[in-house]
Amino acid sequence: MRGIGWHRAALAGSLLVGIMFLGIIADLVWQSLGVLSWHFLWSPPSEMGRGGIGPEVRNTLVMVGAASLISLPLGLAGAVFRVEYSGAPLFVKVFDRVRFTFLSLPTIVVGLLVYQWVIVGLGWPLSIRSGIVALVVMNWPFVVNVGIEALEGVPDTCREGSLALGATRSQTLRRIVFPTALPALVAGLGAATARLLGESAALIFTAGMNVAVHWSWGMPGETLAVHLWYLRTESLAPYANAEAAGTGVVLLAVVALVLYLTQKIAHWLKPRDYSRKSA
Amino acid sequence: MKRQMGMGDQCLYRVVWVGAFSLVVLGIAIFAILFWGTAKFVLAHGLNQSLLGLIYEPTQGRFGLLPFMAGSLVVSGIALAVAIPLALSLAVTVVDMTPRRTETVRQILSGLVAIPSVVFGWWGLSVVVPAIRWISGHSGFSLLAAGLVLAVMILPTLSLLSINALTRVRVQWVEGSLALGATPDQTMGRLILAVSRFPLLEASIIALGRALGETMAVQMVIGGRVLLPHGLVSPGATLTTQILTDMSLLPPGVSGHHVLDFMALLLLAAMYGMVVLLERTRRMSP
Amino acid sequence: MNTKPAPDLVVQNLSVHYGEQVALKDVTLQIEGGQILALIGPSGCGKSTFLRVLNRLVDRSAEAHCTGEVFLGDTRVLDPKTDVVALRRAVGMVFQQPSAFPFSVFDNVAYGPRLQGVRSASRLRSLVESSLKQAALWDEVRGKLRRPAASLSGGQQQRLCIARALAVSPEVLLLDEPTAALDPLSTAKIEELILALRGDYTFVLVTHNLQQAARVSDVTAFFRQGRLIEIAPTRDMFTAPKCEETEEFLTGRYE
Ligand SMILES: Nc1ncnc2c1ncn2[C@@H]1O[C@H](COP(=O)(O)OP(=O)(O)O)[C@@H](O)[C@H]1O
Ligand SMILES: [Mg+2]
Repeated sequence: MRGIGWHRAALAGSLLVGIMFLGIIADLVWQSLGVLSWHFLWSPPSEMGRGGIGPEVRNTLVMVGAASLISLPLGLAGAVFRVEYSGAPLFVKVFDRVRFTFLSLPTIVVGLLVYQWVIVGLGWPLSIRSGIVALVVMNWPFVVNVGIEALEGVPDTCREGSLALGATRSQTLRRIVFPTALPALVAGLGAATARLLGESAALIFTAGMNVAVHWSWGMPGETLAVHLWYLRTESLAPYANAEAAGTGVVLLAVVALVLYLTQKIAHWLKPRDYSRKSA
Repeated sequence: MKRQMGMGDQCLYRVVWVGAFSLVVLGIAIFAILFWGTAKFVLAHGLNQSLLGLIYEPTQGRFGLLPFMAGSLVVSGIALAVAIPLALSLAVTVVDMTPRRTETVRQILSGLVAIPSVVFGWWGLSVVVPAIRWISGHSGFSLLAAGLVLAVMILPTLSLLSINALTRVRVQWVEGSLALGATPDQTMGRLILAVSRFPLLEASIIALGRALGETMAVQMVIGGRVLLPHGLVSPGATLTTQILTDMSLLPPGVSGHHVLDFMALLLLAAMYGMVVLLERTRRMSP
Repeated sequence: MNTKPAPDLVVQNLSVHYGEQVALKDVTLQIEGGQILALIGPSGCGKSTFLRVLNRLVDRSAEAHCTGEVFLGDTRVLDPKTDVVALRRAVGMVFQQPSAFPFSVFDNVAYGPRLQGVRSASRLRSLVESSLKQAALWDEVRGKLRRPAASLSGGQQQRLCIARALAVSPEVLLLDEPTAALDPLSTAKIEELILALRGDYTFVLVTHNLQQAARVSDVTAFFRQGRLIEIAPTRDMFTAPKCEETEEFLTGRYE
């Protein structure tokens, strides 16, 4: 066939991309094989080698979980106001500019600001709770975005239908708009959580690069992503590369699990077609 | 007749109002604080020397930021130059697939978007840096390494947005072009890519934003040299990596700490510029 | 203007399947070059598929499978060795949905010539002008060639698509319900245009509008469920159909 040279080149480029990503993940898994074990997953890290990532797993789950829970209502409120209530074009314009700029703000800047406010200003320690503050600040505009996209996906006819039946705004929101937007919301929150799981720049100077054996909100809270970075840049431990790879594999597994579960839940929440059964 | 808002309505309205406005307030507060810090810095150290200065020696009171701005731009430039052709390749290949396969590719890509940046940094250290060391004879820690790592990092996002752009081109247009005797290549170049140039530009701007803002993956492979880089295989630093490095070297209270605010403000300004630019390109899209 | 004589269309035992589904079954027909063939029949009977075979746009559906023989003049349309690009240049097509490109009026018409490497601005301008004149659109758009095509009315866009097809000097024109989305006035203009071009091109016109088929076509073919039920000179078909099914369809008793 004539005139498909560029298409052939594009196919070659696509194959290259596919091979590259497969290669990255395969390399990570391959290099981690030496350290991956239950021991690695449960034990505390050690500069002497043969340590684990137990505290990091715990810190990551706690901090990301708490930050998600806190930023969810904050973000949803902003999204609901923006989509369901705000009428003034000027407000919409300012709000959108602020949220998009805020959203694309480098997370190291979030780290810097939270460091200045919370660690220096309020005198909090480098700790799990300071890290949670950083994660909330960076997750807030993301959740607003997710919420706005989910709510805007609900057709206006749904709202009008309900309002025409005499329902109030809040009833319409609770009974009609929210359930319809829920699948998109859940999927979006999955993406938000995945983003938090992989965050490191905002956490190095807020949650720190150490772990405490006895867990507390006020103790340093190194996460998996920070640990990977630490192992691969500053650590002098033997097997640091393999342990970094192992940490990466665990991190990827957690991210994949979160994405998979939220996708499943989102799919399950989608309104199903019952018309066949009723026949 | 204006309907009275019920109790529940009023309550909800107040709550979401507070939520929305506090986001705006926080956003503006971030700007104000960075601006305040920058102002303090500029009053103490002058503007020209830092904004256009080439020498960065905080202990000597010299805060030239040009090497970092150059580093950020060069690294993001490399990333886009490498990632755009690859993302377009993927998009061009995918638009001809059946909708079901396109959906599968989308799913895979949105999974890859979520790969943490430190994983790409790890890959850069174990593959890219040694490869550049082997080829160039230098240390391998370099702007080039950082650019390549970023290229791979932004690739899933860029591909996803490019696929969305190309699949929005109407099928009647594509068939109209083919029916006029356009080859598949001609249809792609003169119709599909031409029609989606603004959405593709939008995708590139978004990817550029991610590249400019990335810290960890870059820091791991760039080498952290504060001099103006003299070539692609020479080590360097970017605005983001230098903030990370100097957070421990210039803690609050130390003279010169506010140069961090200055660097952060430059990044914030770049992001704001991109947001405004995106508003424009969105209006141009068909 | 078209210099080559319009080619005859010969279809022998054409069948088209989309996977398991049969879209056309054993269709055999023949029309002389320069004639207007109208295809009528209920939706889903395979009319569009028939058109898409003639310029091999059917190749775009991966699961489509064609058997039989189709000749346009000397070209064996279904032969895998046939140059599809050359075939499509010789066979213009206008779709039901307005498919004007989101470019200017000028760039829409110049799209085809540019594909073939015409670069010279004056040559392009004269090609665009003559094509627009042929499509009876020139007087309405002469001062607006740089405006976006989307600013034209639906009927004007449809004639723009005809002009766009004419600009590559085809020998055959395929029209798939070209007036289905238009008002009566625009429809009348398109019909006038078809009649004005009659003889220079071999036409295959799919239409849901039976009067339209009666007004413009030389030969009418009635399809049902992928089969060619009856083909006859239009006047005979509309006055004295041979098959009962055709009569039922023409008198509106069908379905
Ligand atoms: N791309 C395709 N894939 C599968 N089936 C198709 C495709 N295009 C058309 N069909 C089927 O082929 C039959 C004929 O369609 P078509 O030629 O469009 O009919 P008409 O134009 O007469 O309405 C229909 O049953 C339709 O569902
Ligand atoms: Mg049809």
